[in-house]
Amino acid sequence: MKVPRRSARQKNLQKDAEKEEAINLLEQKENTEEVVERSKDEETAVEEENFVESPVVSDDDDEDFSDDDGSLGESGSEDSHLSGEEDVFVSSDGEDSFDAKSDDVSGNGASGSGRDDTEHGKDDDAESDDSRTVVEESDSSEDEVDPRNTVGDVPLKWYKEEEHIGYDLAGKKIKKKERQDKLDSFLASVDDSKNWRKIYDEYNDEEVELTKEEVKVIKRLLKGKAPHADFDPYVPYVDWFSWDDSKHPLSSAPEPKRRFIPSKWESKKVVQYVRAIRKGLIKFDEKPKEEPSAYLLWGDDSSAIDRQGLAYIPAPKPKLPGHEESYNPSLEYIPTQEEINSYQLMFEEDRPKFIPKRFTSLRNVPAYEKAVNENFGRCLDLYLCPRARKKRINIDPESLKPKLPSRKDLRPYPTSCYLEYKGHKGPVVSISTESTGQWIASGSSDGTVRIWEVETGRCIKIWELGESVSHVSWNPLPERPILAVCMGEDVYLLNTGLGNAEEQKSLEELLRVETPSTPDDSDNDKTAVNWIQDDKHGGIRLKHFKTVSSVEWHLLIHLLSKKQTQRIPFKLHGLPVSTAFHPSRSAFFISTKKNIRVYDLLKQKLIKKLETGVREVSSIAIHPGGDNLIVGSKDGKLCWFDMDLSSQPYRVLNCHPKDINRVAFHRSYPLFASSSDDCTAYVFHGMVYSDLNQNPLIVPLEILRGHASENGRGVMDCKFHPRQPWLFTAGADSVIKLYCH
Amino acid sequence: MPKHYRPAGKKKEGNAARYITRSQAVKYLQVSLSLFRKLCILKGIFPREPKKKVKGNHHTYYHTKDILFLKHEPLLEKFREMRAYEKKIKKAVSKKNRDLAERLLTRKPSYTLDMLIRERYPKFIDALRDLDDCLSMVHLFAALPAVEREKIPVNRVHNCRRLGHEWQAYIARTHKLRKTFISVKGIYYQAEIDGQKITWLTPHALQQVLPDDVDYNIMLTFLEFYEASNICIYHYFEFVFVTLQAFVNFKLYHSINVKYPPILDPWLEALAADLYALSRYFDNRASMTESTTTSFSESDVSKDQGKGPNYDESELRLAQLQQQLPSNEPGALMHLVQNAAETDEDDSETRECKTLFKDVKLFLNREVPRESLLFVIPAFGGSVSWDGEGAPFKETDQNITHQIVDRPTQGHKFLSREYVQPQWIYDCVNARILLPVEEYIVGRIPPPHLSPFVDNEAEGYVPEYAETIKRLQAAARNEVLPMPGVGKEDLDDPQNLLVEGVIDRAEAIEAATKKRKMSVLQKQYHDELKKELRSTQISTASDGNKESVSEHIDAGEDSLPDLSQISKDADSMSKIVMPRKKQKLLKAMEIGKERKQASVDRLKERKRRIEEGKKSGK
Repeated sequence: MKVPRRSARQKNLQKDAEKEEAINLLEQKENTEEVVERSKDEETAVEEENFVESPVVSDDDDEDFSDDDGSLGESGSEDSHLSGEEDVFVSSDGEDSFDAKSDDVSGNGASGSGRDDTEHGKDDDAESDDSRTVVEESDSSEDEVDPRNTVGDVPLKWYKEEEHIGYDLAGKKIKKKERQDKLDSFLASVDDSKNWRKIYDEYNDEEVELTKEEVKVIKRLLKGKAPHADFDPYVPYVDWFSWDDSKHPLSSAPEPKRRFIPSKWESKKVVQYVRAIRKGLIKFDEKPKEEPSAYLLWGDDSSAIDRQGLAYIPAPKPKLPGHEESYNPSLEYIPTQEEINSYQLMFEEDRPKFIPKRFTSLRNVPAYEKAVNENFGRCLDLYLCPRARKKRINIDPESLKPKLPSRKDLRPYPTSCYLEYKGHKGPVVSISTESTGQWIASGSSDGTVRIWEVETGRCIKIWELGESVSHVSWNPLPERPILAVCMGEDVYLLNTGLGNAEEQKSLEELLRVETPSTPDDSDNDKTAVNWIQDDKHGGIRLKHFKTVSSVEWHLLIHLLSKKQTQRIPFKLHGLPVSTAFHPSRSAFFISTKKNIRVYDLLKQKLIKKLETGVREVSSIAIHPGGDNLIVGSKDGKLCWFDMDLSSQPYRVLNCHPKDINRVAFHRSYPLFASSSDDCTAYVFHGMVYSDLNQNPLIVPLEILRGHASENGRGVMDCKFHPRQPWLFTAGADSVIKLYCH
Repeated sequence: MPKHYRPAGKKKEGNAARYITRSQAVKYLQVSLSLFRKLCILKGIFPREPKKKVKGNHHTYYHTKDILFLKHEPLLEKFREMRAYEKKIKKAVSKKNRDLAERLLTRKPSYTLDMLIRERYPKFIDALRDLDDCLSMVHLFAALPAVEREKIPVNRVHNCRRLGHEWQAYIARTHKLRKTFISVKGIYYQAEIDGQKITWLTPHALQQVLPDDVDYNIMLTFLEFYEASNICIYHYFEFVFVTLQAFVNFKLYHSINVKYPPILDPWLEALAADLYALSRYFDNRASMTESTTTSFSESDVSKDQGKGPNYDESELRLAQLQQQLPSNEPGALMHLVQNAAETDEDDSETRECKTLFKDVKLFLNREVPRESLLFVIPAFGGSVSWDGEGAPFKETDQNITHQIVDRPTQGHKFLSREYVQPQWIYDCVNARILLPVEEYIVGRIPPPHLSPFVDNEAEGYVPEYAETIKRLQAAARNEVLPMPGVGKEDLDDPQNLLVEGVIDRAEAIEAATKKRKMSVLQKQYHDELKKELRSTQISTASDGNKESVSEHIDAGEDSLPDLSQISKDADSMSKIVMPRKKQKLLKAMEIGKERKQASVDRLKERKRRIEEGKKSGK
């Protein structure tokens, strides 16, 4: 395969060369013609003229076709040359024959060298005559050789598997030659001394032996020369156009003057250049000046001015490497495989950038593949990151905590559990202290209300009310020990049976209700409450239409004696959560989930609206002074309102993680407490000064623990002892605790 | 009316006037974005963070004054000029005016950055302060391959290498190196000059990877500035160096005409011992100034010519080689070190660094990182040689005390010297004492290499080996420095043990006093608690009725477990009354503390597990 391909290339080369040659020849002829014509004038070099004449004449033949005075052979040689040229083009189409080629080559050579070598030319004439006859018959040289392959310009691999190679004119298959055995062919090739000249022609399926001339031509082509040694590529150019003495000149205008005088502008330019050279602006053979690359930039720093312009913020220095970046860190710095795996579960930005590795010796350390990236990152940081001075707070966290007055100075306050009142079966929901401080009442969700003696912890009285109690409250008047209990939709007013006989009598009087007048008012929807005598427990039962959440006693406005109920004549925005009476004035506080409204009960109008800003208010309590209010919320916030100050909380204490159930003020001591579902109760010191300029002082004093959590509820209620700095707490674990100082 | 309505004729005010976005700036300066970047890098202009981002959150804002500053920069004009010039050349080339193109090419306008450097760093100390990135970058580029694709030209790389070596030579000569650290990323060095701590990273001397996702143009722009500033700085050092050597006759200096770009010995340079060549250069100057009596005998020259491959090289180099000959003798370097010691300007630390390897003579095997060690060892006053041409002394030298080896086993051993791993040098440098060589002997896994940049106490976790080093340092301080040649102070050494005992005792005493104090405090607290409880008891007692149903809480029993509860309560109570801002701050602080503690705990946990594994393995 290799040999034919190479030969094909050679052929191509040859073809190209021949083309060139042909063109060159044409040009040459033209040149010679011109030369001839010039020489006519000069009448010199007669020999040369003679010498060149014959081709010139033949050329004239070709061009004019007017007179034919040249010899036949010569014109024939020209023909042959032409045909040869044609052949070249045709053969480039795919079909080429070495015989024809060799003819052509020699023909060309003859015509090229015809000038100086006549004998050779004659030899060629004979051959070219043959070729001429062929030319007369047909244009194509394909028909020259008859049993040629007529396969055409198709890839030979199409016939690779076939037995034939193409078809002849009759449409019969042209059989491939019998393949010689490789060994035989090799042996034959070894024996044959001319083997190196043999080429396999694939298209014609035959072996071709190159002649010596052909080999020479190939050799010359390989060197990049013209195929023939006697071809001169550098013949002087002879113009074909005769410029002088033409009968009809292109322009008959006289020669302009400018052709005869030197250019003014050129001379000016020259003067310019000369001046520039003299001045040294234009220099020749000049090398760029070598300036010293460095000199003493900072001489004496004392005279240096500071940096001008905006304040310069130097870039922060890169972080210094820690132990873990060492090539051989301590073993504990290397994360375990599980830890490395766990990094994959992290977010990409959380993932550690650098995973420590350990190499047992320095020679094992590879190049760090992210070196360029990290440096580039640093570059980006340096020129792309906005810089700003940030104050780095480097202070002791302790110094952040406010200075509070010592707790010792604020004594007494409840600190530790002293007594526990046990007996309830369910969570104790509400407790209330009697105004003398001798008794406490407690209501539980197991449906009982109990009265305890404070100092002994003895349970004195139990009412079984059958429904879970939501609130209990003592009458603040010590001479009328009545207990109000609310449960569900009812409110019971119970006679506790405490106190002396006179008091009991008046109480019974008070608590007697005549036969209910409800039938009369039944169609009157406005009465929200029914007063019913409850004989069983010896009290009064008030029936509400809706669930009662809490009751409050007040000195001025309780209408127990008249057995009447006043309906609050105000519109509430939302459900009321908690209520309270002002300790001295006829004001009434009622809180909805978000806000607290203060009403004047006498004038029956809104005095103030307090915005708590908490999610849900759970309870409120009023300072005995009446100007301050604390609000406990279900998000564990305790708000202190100074009502003289603003309608916003003066201080929000974020003390409990869970809901605050109840807040309470002490009646005489500057104490307040909050109880929450996180099983703690906080005791605060809340001093209100009479001086209006001084803000109330709030100091957390104690966290009281001890209650256990039940169903997610902790301390349900807290109440201060009216005289002592003691705190009662009611827990969801059905225990009431007394904390003493 | 829009929100930011500005009446016509009224100027912009506030943030809108003070800050402009990047695209606005580019438009205003009439430059391309890449040129703007370049200018910003060269001038050191960075974006700012305005309080109010008028144009939106996704813009980069520059201060208007910064941009004006750029506008008045002569460099901007210069860049424009250069662009116009480029166009001229292009035109000439495309018109096939080769003459003109060639002439234009020979005198391309260029720019210098020295005034910029002066402007950015009015004082030398300012330049030193910003040297960290500069050095890291120069050293990185010195290790990079010159790649046509990324336009990293060869001469830039060579220049970087040269600059790096010059810097190292200066540091080594003036003994300013303080800390070294071999990390995975490369070798960190820290030097201290004029009170400025300069840390830089040199990559390991291996083929570096060139990633594709890096804009090398930006890096090269940075490098351009760094190179310029480096050269300026070195030149300054040159000056400093001159002033340092007070004993040097200044006139003599002028007479020998020492210039900044030091002329290096190409022979040594070819052997990749640039650093050594530089130090030679420094030494030569010292020796020349010191003694002009160095006579060069003809025999020396002939010997030299016979030995070196540079027989017919220029005279200059011959002369250099001749000058190097005296320092080829073993004592020459030491001699120089002593000379330098005469200058009293050195602070105590420099003096300490200078004498660390005073009595040590080292030989480097061919597998160790030679460049780094040739920098570090002389910086700490040691004399060093290596395996290869141009070495000052041979491996067979009897005076060599240590040989640095980094291979699994060493075949032939001289009995007179220790064979240690390279980490020994770095650890010694960081500890400032000669550590016992037992741990670092060939074939052993050396002890962990610890970072000298970490404050162990602040970090909360002290690695084991750090403690060992501390103990050794204390021992060295009390005792005379152990002889490096002997190097036998084992932990079992009775003397050493005694020293250890002393330290231990001191520590124990300290701990005891602390404990006592703690206990006193605790007791005080307990007493107070008890008092409180008693008072409550008394009050309740006065109220009468002791026969309560519920049980008492005993003061004595409960107070102990309550202590932590009480402190926690106090903590939370004080937190309650804090303003919200402070609360958040405190919370952030606590989170930081927790994180730190968590990492320390993790380390401790791992340590514990490793020890357990060891025990079970045994």
